[in-house]
Amino acid sequence: MGKPTGFLENTRQLPAKEAVENRLQHYGEFVQQYSAADLNKQASRCMDCGIPFCHNGCPLGNIIPEFNDAVYRGKFDEAYEILASTNNFPEFTGRICPAPCESACVLGINQPPVAIEEIERHIVEIAFERGYVQAKQHIVRTGKKVAVVGSGPAGLAAAAQLNSAGHSVTVFERDDAPGGLLRYGIPDFKLEKSVVDRRIRLMEEEGIVFRCNAEVGKNVPVGDLLREFHAIVLAGGSTIPRDLTVPGRELDGVHFAMDFLKQQNKRVGGKSTLINPYQPLSTDIVATGKHVVVIGGGDTGSDCVGTSNRQGAASVTQLELMPTPPMERTPNMPWPTYPMVYKTTTSHEEGCERQFAILTKAFLGDENGKLRALQVVDIQWTGAKDGRPASFAEVPGSEREIPCELALLAMGFLYPQKEGMLDQLGVETTGVGNVRASERTYQTTISKVFAAGDMRRGQSLVVWAISEGRECARKVDEYLMGSSLLETKDAALQFTI
Amino acid sequence: MTSLYLTEADELQIKMAQGAKPGEGGQLPGHKVDEWIGKVRHSTPGVGLISPPPHHDIYSIEDLAQLIFDLKNANRSARINVKLVSKAGVGTIAAGVAKAKADVILISGHDGGTGASPMSSIRHAGLPWELGLAETHQTLVKNKLRSRVTVQADGQMKTGRDIAIAALLGAEEWGVATAALVVEGCILMRKCHLNTCPVGVATQDPELRKRFNGDPEHVVNFFKFLTEELREIMADLGFRTIEEMVGQAEFLEVKEDNLANNFKLKGLDLSPILYREPADSSVGLYKQEEQDHGLAGVLDWKLLAAAQPALEAKTPVVAEFPVINTDRTIGAILSNEITKKYRGEGLPDGTIHFKFKGTAGQSFGAFNTCGVTLELEGGANDYFGKGLSGARLVVYPDKTATFTPEENSIIGNVAFYGATGGEAFIRGVAGERFCVRNSGVTVVVEGIGDHGCEYMTGGRAVILGGTGRNFGAGMSGGIAYVWDVAGDFAQNCNPEMIDLDPLGDEDADELRSLVQQHLELTGSSVAKFVLSDFESEVGRFVKVFPRDYKKALAGKAAKVAAE
Ligand SMILES: Cc1cc2nc3c(=O)[nH]c(=O)nc-3n(C[C@H](O)[C@H](O)[C@H](O)COP(=O)(O)OP(=O)(O)OC[C@H]3O[C@@H](n4cnc5c(N)ncnc54)[C@H](O)[C@@H]3O)c2cc1C
Ligand code: SF4
Repeated sequence: MGKPTGFLENTRQLPAKEAVENRLQHYGEFVQQYSAADLNKQASRCMDCGIPFCHNGCPLGNIIPEFNDAVYRGKFDEAYEILASTNNFPEFTGRICPAPCESACVLGINQPPVAIEEIERHIVEIAFERGYVQAKQHIVRTGKKVAVVGSGPAGLAAAAQLNSAGHSVTVFERDDAPGGLLRYGIPDFKLEKSVVDRRIRLMEEEGIVFRCNAEVGKNVPVGDLLREFHAIVLAGGSTIPRDLTVPGRELDGVHFAMDFLKQQNKRVGGKSTLINPYQPLSTDIVATGKHVVVIGGGDTGSDCVGTSNRQGAASVTQLELMPTPPMERTPNMPWPTYPMVYKTTTSHEEGCERQFAILTKAFLGDENGKLRALQVVDIQWTGAKDGRPASFAEVPGSEREIPCELALLAMGFLYPQKEGMLDQLGVETTGVGNVRASERTYQTTISKVFAAGDMRRGQSLVVWAISEGRECARKVDEYLMGSSLLETKDAALQFTI
Repeated sequence: MTSLYLTEADELQIKMAQGAKPGEGGQLPGHKVDEWIGKVRHSTPGVGLISPPPHHDIYSIEDLAQLIFDLKNANRSARINVKLVSKAGVGTIAAGVAKAKADVILISGHDGGTGASPMSSIRHAGLPWELGLAETHQTLVKNKLRSRVTVQADGQMKTGRDIAIAALLGAEEWGVATAALVVEGCILMRKCHLNTCPVGVATQDPELRKRFNGDPEHVVNFFKFLTEELREIMADLGFRTIEEMVGQAEFLEVKEDNLANNFKLKGLDLSPILYREPADSSVGLYKQEEQDHGLAGVLDWKLLAAAQPALEAKTPVVAEFPVINTDRTIGAILSNEITKKYRGEGLPDGTIHFKFKGTAGQSFGAFNTCGVTLELEGGANDYFGKGLSGARLVVYPDKTATFTPEENSIIGNVAFYGATGGEAFIRGVAGERFCVRNSGVTVVVEGIGDHGCEYMTGGRAVILGGTGRNFGAGMSGGIAYVWDVAGDFAQNCNPEMIDLDPLGDEDADELRSLVQQHLELTGSSVAKFVLSDFESEVGRFVKVFPRDYKKALAGKAAKVAAE
């Protein structure tokens, strides 16, 4: 804490954003940088709490007050070192994390919390600019080979950690480029792909081998992996989307959000939208000139809103089954928990009608089998328990049609794909369908096979994926070497008594 | 401590030590001492407050007994509580404290305490309360003293289980502080000393205090659950009341597994803690009888009777009493009664004028309030004017005495300790530790011993004679005028916090009028001499001016000038 009274003198301020009408003209990032003085002010707000709840709020256990202090003192090399010690990819989380650390920030009890995420982004960008981020040289090799399946944040984090421990890591990715949802899920306007490329290049320099267009269980036999590698990390994500099986689902114009988003990311990347190594698509999904309805109120839905607006949709409506969340914390979601409050994303700022407590009953088509409208009904939630509604009933007489030519299903993901790799490996899955591996060991029912990220914990966040990758790497290292010096959140628990 | 403060209390605690920082007092850094705190604490705003670590009036168990007696005189209905730190040997100390007539003994464990405890203190923190409490209870039972005192324990007690264990080890009362604070919104910021507590708990900053959003209901709820848990445990063990439970250590069982499986705990023998001192049915295991504080036959009852017209109608009264050195703490009960009726203001100056002849016992005039004048012909023992809170004390030798007053001690050590107001004129020499932590008394004396005016924060001390060494150590407020006849005063000072300045015109006027009063009230020949050639004698006076105080006064003057 550079300044004990910083939080009394300065209030939270986020960097300026490009005006909506301008940013809608392109797919690039639109959040600007702080001036040096503003960054210093924001860092000065950190109180260096006796019990820094932000540590605990952050799934990675980022050492937040220390890097805030270093930023306040203008020591960006030190700040980066602290940040990188717990987070392999601050350039990702600094941009797209919902920042549970900020929800947990002590200042947030009665004031706007410290702008931790922006400070994080600035640290890493300044570090890149000044050349503090360098590929690790002279890694002593252990002679052990590890395969990582999936190159999303979990796979990347596991690969980076295992490589730094000296193991030879090969990452298998079924898509044509590494990054997982960072590359083909999260839109460029939230995370430009040059940021992903920059990191992948560094990892390659450090000796990690990426094999794209390589689907394990299909064109890479599972047996090869089991034979050739000393350990395998499964980080294939939770990829099976939740469907909406109502009449008219088969109509032309009803699509999964991921298909839509992925195509746009490919377009921005200058690639063909129809060629996909593992799941070819027959049509281009575009929102231009259409009335778009996004079903599902989460992150994916919001990304669809932003993408549709950029493509020039005639209108964008987002439907959510749940009732409007409260604007502020309620007694059921006290500080320092992550609150389920009404959230307006930058995509929402760009124009979108949001409707809550709405049920989609059917997709209605025209004579050509093309979607023309949605049939919806208002619902009434009842039996609230602990602040969460328990059951709903349709409001009689509220049935109506919403004109719509493109409906995007963004209702979350159920579980990882079983067909192929998981089936062939024969690893056990949990009741919900995720790969079974405990959070203490990350080990699946096959001893040399580990699992991390959404594939293990179900759909979640990038920050959790990185955390899982790191913790899993530590367990793999212990498995291979008997002990490990890799950073881990529960090193204290390792101390055996 | 003013008479009002003491009178208002339900319980008065003498903090001999605290668990988190034994041997040190509470600490309030200067920047947290604002106008308001300065007023409450009788100190200079902006000047740090370090409660004196050693009690300058307590060097032995007898001294403690005297303080307990003083406080009991100053407020008969308050319980007197003595706080001790949990440590090896605390049982013996507690036995002494029980014999010194404390009503309550608190055993304080190491892990309580505030975030403001300095590093140097934390290194000397006490032991877990369990150890000290068990020893205390066993020793008190063994000496058949347990039934005379209430035993309390504290130090991070948070659950009904903690309290149940404390009861079984021998405490019938418990302190729960941190947990309650956390319930109110404390988030353990450890910024108590910086005045920047963001939840408004430990700060004087009005902006931050607005952010406090604690709710009394939460605290009530917390204690409800705490006691409910305790009740459940009691029901499990078959106790109907806490009294049945106190000291029944055999109901505690060691979790042998835990000991065996932990490398640090292996080999630990807990039996001395769980030992139960054998006692037959005649020995009480909890507080069952009141201490005999010996107030029945004290002189004050006579003073009180004589003062009735003053108390009832502010009618001036004059009376004379013989005293002997077993008459202790004269005037405290009287002042307590005045304060009950007339609050902090007391009576108009000179309403009560009592004259005493003989040698007074300890604590003459302790905690005496406004409107009381005690004139003593003879001499007095230690703690003269302790905690004086508005009264006037005058003492001179027996008129028939043949010795030279300014060369002989007339009052004992630790005079005016912690005094907050009033005035005193002493025709003769005082002992050591004169005016320690004085915050408002104006006093004239004709010589003092070592450690004069230590930790003084306010008031005036005129010393018409020599001083011992270490004068003015830790002095942060008030002024002393010292007649430096021998020219060696500077050598006797502790220069860390004070400046030695010549007197200005205002100082000289103030000094002259005080010496004049001294002459009138005591007939002092020293005063007479000084006044006979004041213009030249004033040059031999040194003004002891604490630097902090100087700064605060300059700041105030600048503020006034700006307005
Ligand atoms: C549209 C969208 C927006 C999101 N926005 C955010 C956000 O703003 N902030 C946030 O924190 N989280 C966000 N999330 C969630 C976040 O992206 C995921 O939780 C995270 O990416 C999971 O990481 P992962 O490494 O476990 O899996 P993924 O990122 O899903 O990566 C899995 C990878 O494994 C590959 N793979 C799968 N099976 C095989 C196989 N058999 N062989 C080879 N490769 C295989 C897949 O192709 C994929 O590339 C979003 C999710 C979506 C869908
Ligand atoms: S909780 Fe907030 S204010 Fe406290 S240390 Fe963490 S970032 Fe700083």
